[in-house]
Amino acid sequence: MEFSLFLQNMVNGFSLGSMYALIAIGYTMVYGVLRLINFAHGDIMMVGAYVCFFGMVSLNLPFIAAVVFAVTICAALGIITDTIAYKPLRKAPRISLLITAIGISFLLENLFNVIFGSEPKAFIVPEYLQTVLTFGDVTVAISAVLVPIITLILLAITLFILYRTKYGMAIRALAFDIHTVNLMGIDANLIIAIVFALGSMLAAIGGVFWSLNYPSIEPMMGVLIGLKAFAAAVLGGIGSVGGAVLGGFIIGFTEVVVVSLSPEFSGFKDAFAFIFLILILIFKPTGILGYNFEKSRF
Amino acid sequence: MKKITTLALSLAAISSFGFAKEITIAAVMPVTGPVAAYGQTAYEGVTLANKMRPTLKNGDTIKVVLLDTRGEKVETSNATTRAISQNKAVGIIGELITANTMQVMAIADKSKIPVVAPAATSDKLLDNVKFGSRVCFMDSFQGKAAAEFTAKELGYKTAVIVVDQAQVYSLGLAKTFESEFVKNGGKVLSKLKISSGDKDFKAIVSQIKSKNPDFVYVPTYHPEASLLARQAKQINLNKPMVGSDGVANPTFIELGGDAVNGFIFSDSFDASNPPTELSKKFLDEYEKDKGTRDIAGFTALGADAYFVMVEAMDKCADPSDSVCINDQIHQTKEFSGVSGVISIDSKGNAIRSVVMKEIVGGKPTFKANVNP
Repeated sequence: MEFSLFLQNMVNGFSLGSMYALIAIGYTMVYGVLRLINFAHGDIMMVGAYVCFFGMVSLNLPFIAAVVFAVTICAALGIITDTIAYKPLRKAPRISLLITAIGISFLLENLFNVIFGSEPKAFIVPEYLQTVLTFGDVTVAISAVLVPIITLILLAITLFILYRTKYGMAIRALAFDIHTVNLMGIDANLIIAIVFALGSMLAAIGGVFWSLNYPSIEPMMGVLIGLKAFAAAVLGGIGSVGGAVLGGFIIGFTEVVVVSLSPEFSGFKDAFAFIFLILILIFKPTGILGYNFEKSRF
Repeated sequence: MKKITTLALSLAAISSFGFAKEITIAAVMPVTGPVAAYGQTAYEGVTLANKMRPTLKNGDTIKVVLLDTRGEKVETSNATTRAISQNKAVGIIGELITANTMQVMAIADKSKIPVVAPAATSDKLLDNVKFGSRVCFMDSFQGKAAAEFTAKELGYKTAVIVVDQAQVYSLGLAKTFESEFVKNGGKVLSKLKISSGDKDFKAIVSQIKSKNPDFVYVPTYHPEASLLARQAKQINLNKPMVGSDGVANPTFIELGGDAVNGFIFSDSFDASNPPTELSKKFLDEYEKDKGTRDIAGFTALGADAYFVMVEAMDKCADPSDSVCINDQIHQTKEFSGVSGVISIDSKGNAIRSVVMKEIVGGKPTFKANVNP
């Protein structure tokens, strides 16, 4: 492989991986506090993309305003799903929660199917994000460069919230022991709502980024991306925010590397991403940065 | 509920006794789902053709029922079964995608219901069926036309092929294209595989860029082809792309935006050069209806599937005799349809021309005509 192709692939892998990472953070945080794999998370990403699109087309919002609009709506949606779907089941067995999450996922997919139709729609990419940057033989669209940078900034903010604020401390305490936290005068439901809002906001941004890079949106777009982000969260060690980001990058790079090393297998890049997950889990069942599930708290 | 329906049906049967009958043709098509663009454009053609010719020679009226397949295999077989058992269709037009059309034909064959495929181009489509036929060209011809056009007319020497390994259609086209392109003195540098539903083609386009071919052959459906073109533009891969009739619809241009300008593809029909009397009439009708003369290739093919079937029904003593209709379809000779002159052989395959087009300024424009 020539050096320029190698560099190009690095850029591509970074950009793809950071999108998985953004969505994986939401999976990992919700799992951390509720021990729930929120399968509706990928669909919240899809909602983010659609709301941003809707804001630009129907409300004539400028791009940045549409993103803020999408982030707000998704945060609200995260809180609402928690309130109506998961909150009544706090004391129920985990399996009921999981099934509810799958139900919410189907609900969102089909709702958007009915509202917007199932055809792919062309997402509007603002002119200034379409500019192509050239560094020698490596070319990249601005949107693809922005994604990893913003992901890292958002990761820093998330980690800051978790480790430097009172709410972050409450989230970590909640992850440690939900029952005792209630006795200590912390409103567990409020903290869980914050976690859902935070995760959904990141998912919305992930959805917008995804649509900027692959400008064709459809109601089922969240399914495979959500699955891969989930794989990323597990790979990195579910419950660990840093692990989710690391896992996202690993999955992104795997996909890119498979195509460039062996073009004959390029059609199986998804399979390779999951094979990698299986291999890691065989040798380190808790994921790369994960500790023992029952003790790990971010 | 079932009893009421039966009662209503028998009442309807009694009341219509002695008058002209109503004969049902089912359009089994994806009007929603990821490839809804195909079904919608083709159905437009079927309904307009039905409007232009709503009755048979003996006075029977033809009713077209639409059954949505959502582009999925399971839904396709449900829709086909419904068309045959509930709607009592004497003939089926559809599906659009090769894999789904095979499904329709497998089911209809058991009930001896003739199926006319408007746009399924795979060579293997009619291998195991007796009651199937099509009005579109075959991939072996479409791929050959693309290979000859690029090698001879455009003088390209090297190609990279991007093939959708999840679609029989794409695999078949890539295969014929490769052998024909090599026969014409070209060289295939690499074959890259994708799967339907993929969104990220950045690694693929980077790979193409490093191979530096004269052009890229992309025989995939429009959701993938449009994203591939867009991502190629993002990394400044300014190589010409050549595709197949999988991109011959307006949604492709909508999804691809500026990135698909210069995209060359094979299609069955060009609205700016109506090849027959019927195409002129059809274009006039379409303009009256929709206010434009821009007709997608699939609209013309949908109409032709209808006309060929009705033509065959007219030749049968009993126009609801499915076996006779099928025989007559297989004997179609030089039928001047909307999309061109079509002959159908005893197996059901159509012999017809291919049109090469290029997208210029967001509009498909005529480049060349390739005859068999």
